[in-house]
Order: sequence, then structure tokens, then C-alpha cells
Amino acid sequence: MEATAYQNASLAAGLGESDTEPALQRPGVIRDLYRAFKEEGRTLMDITWEQHRHHESRRWSVMELLAAVRPEQLTELDRFVIWNAGRAEMTAKPSADRMSRLADAECRRFQSTEPAVASIIQSLGTWSRYWNEEESHHEMGFLQLTRMLGFASLDDATVLDYRKIFPDDDLLRTVTMLSFSEGIAAVNYGQYMRRVRDPGLKALFKHVGADEVQHMQYFISFAKAMVDSGAYPAKEAFAVAHLFLREGGELYGVAREQVEHRETHVNWWDHLEEGASEMVAAPESLERKRSLILHALKRITGISCASAEEVEDTWLELVGC
Amino acid sequence: MAEVADLKDFIGRKFCENVGLSPEVLFGEDLSLGEVILRSEKMHNSVDLMEAFAKSSNALRKEYGVRVRLPALSLETPISRVMELFVQECQQGRNS
Repeated sequence: MEATAYQNASLAAGLGESDTEPALQRPGVIRDLYRAFKEEGRTLMDITWEQHRHHESRRWSVMELLAAVRPEQLTELDRFVIWNAGRAEMTAKPSADRMSRLADAECRRFQSTEPAVASIIQSLGTWSRYWNEEESHHEMGFLQLTRMLGFASLDDATVLDYRKIFPDDDLLRTVTMLSFSEGIAAVNYGQYMRRVRDPGLKALFKHVGADEVQHMQYFISFAKAMVDSGAYPAKEAFAVAHLFLREGGELYGVAREQVEHRETHVNWWDHLEEGASEMVAAPESLERKRSLILHALKRITGISCASAEEVEDTWLELVGC
Repeated sequence: MAEVADLKDFIGRKFCENVGLSPEVLFGEDLSLGEVILRSEKMHNSVDLMEAFAKSSNALRKEYGVRVRLPALSLETPISRVMELFVQECQQGRNS
């Protein structure tokens, strides 16, 4: 296996010795992970290598992008959005830390009884390191930019507050929720990107948004594999979809009437400041988010719903009495 | 449509079954939804609570043929208010 990995790495680096060696396939998210482990006999090393290639192939430099931003060209709204985005991204780390802990515990639960499920969950836990690292680019990109713009730096007490690790929940619910939140974040960055004039800032939003789309695809893939395995009931994915899509639900973020005050952790989505929140709650933005959630739910469960009402009806049927 | 007292009795029993608390605790102390999560061994978060109400709604549909849809509620909402909302929805006669 090591020889193969070395040959592949050499090819990728342009060091291949022979024209007849096969070109590497473009890395991507494995869409049917349960089948990959259960029927195709792929191993954790195969999947991890694919994750790693994908991660490496998509890397970008925060320092280079920040160097291209022209602070004097930014509007008040730009500055405001950057400030909010920095705080928003601060909470990705505690979410990823929670994921690696939860995934390892769940993996051990299935290790002796359902090896394919244990492997799916281990591949999720392993991938969380790439997710965490990519999110660090977002956090540092926006926070360093706020400092460049003359905003006060976050004090240590605030950093400690934002780093509170999220509480555990059912793993399928958690992964489904993350697939939705990444999709929502991608739509938000897309909204910001279209409004911004400065090419440097536009590029930063574009790169961060593209990462969030990729994260959404990974979370969908893991959640689908968990449902496909039969170890996790689809009703949990539907519960989260209902939580987001119902009247006054999480989809509406800070714009909803009821926003919970949490002592346990900070959810950036509840704390967006005025201006940024108006942009992300605009009707076209909400419609995009709704459709992404419905699409993700279909991919995860195989059940298609066209509206929030249909999601609720299906969830109620799955829950039973 | 059933009498309000019957409905309340039925809904109350289902709430207690589904959240795993006695009527004396749940209604006697008129717990808030946040307190229900803290006091119940079956509940860990608001999604668990949402599912408990969904099961109660399904039981109502099976018994009385009415569909109850609940809006998002804050964790400060007392259980008596949730009961009122269930009864109101039933009285509006939203047949399934």
C-alpha cells in the first residue's frame, strides 16, 4: 500500500517516471460511502487518502488573499459583515472538536457488531480534522481582517467563551444539522460576495463559500451512509429538517421571534448583528436555503419533500405514537 | 369534537408518558420547557422535546382525528401554555 501511495503522490507532484502510468482521478466527496465499505470492500485507508487528496487539492492561502484586500475600498456594510463573519467562524472549532469526540465514541459502539458502520463513523471522525483546519482559514481570514480594519481584537475572555464545546446529541441529528448549517453559510457568503465591490474581499468570500459547499457535501455523504446502513433512523434527519424549516425555525436565524439564550455554547447564527442579519434573511436567500435543506434531506434519506409542511407530515409519520 | 376536559386529560396523559414525568411534577409545578429537559431523564435537548410533542400530536390524531401543528416555542414557555395551544388547535377542528 505504501508503494502505491508513494507512486500516486509522485504522479501528483509531476515526478512520475512513465507516461503509461494512469493519471490520478480528480479527488472528490464519495457519495455512497455505505456501499463503498460494505460492497466495494474499500478500506479506511482508501477513504482517508481520498479525503486527504481532496483537502490538499483545495487548499488556499489566507495570507495571500488578505494581501489582496484594499481596506480603503471597503464600505461600512463590508466592514460590518467581516466583523460578523469573524465571530461566526469562531464557533466552528468547538463544533469540530465535539464531532471528533462524538464520532469516536459512536465508532467504538459499532466496532464489534457492525464493522461497516464503525468505518463510516471513523471516516467522519477522521475527516473532521480537515474540516477543522479549513474552518481555521475562515476564522483567521475574517478575524485578522477585522484587526487590519482597526476593530478591537477579541479579548481572551471572549475567545474562551466562543470556544465552549457544543453539547453532544444523536450523531445523525448532529451530522444532518451540520449539513444544513454549512449550506446556509454558503448561501450567506454568496449573498455577501455579490454585494462586495473590492475584488480581494470578493475572492475571500468566494473561497470560504466554496469550502462551505464542500463541507455540506461531506456531511450529506456521512449522514446518507448512516441512514443507508440502517443503524440510524431517518426520523432523526427529518426532526432536524423540521427544526429548521418550521414556522419560526432555525432557518430564520436571528430574525426569528424566539432566539434561545444558551449558557452552554455560542451559536453565531443567533448573534448576527443588524445589517448582516437583514441580508441573510432576505426572501431570495431564504428560498435558496430552503431548497438546499430539502435537497440535502432527500440525499440523506431518499425521501423527497417539496415543502416545510411535507417535511412535518413525513416526520410525524416516522415518529409514530 | 370531544369535551375540553376530556381533551385536556388525554393530552396531559400523553405529555407525561412522552416526557417521562409525573403529572404532579409536570403540571403541578407548571414546568417550563427548559425545566422539562432538565428534569426528565428521557430528554436531552429541544429536539427530544419536539419529538415528545409530535408523539402526543400523533396520539391525538389517532384518537380524535385532529392534526395539531405546533409553532416554535421558547424554552421559557410553561407546559400550561403548550396545553392551551394543543387544545386551541383541536378546537379549530383541523381534521386530518
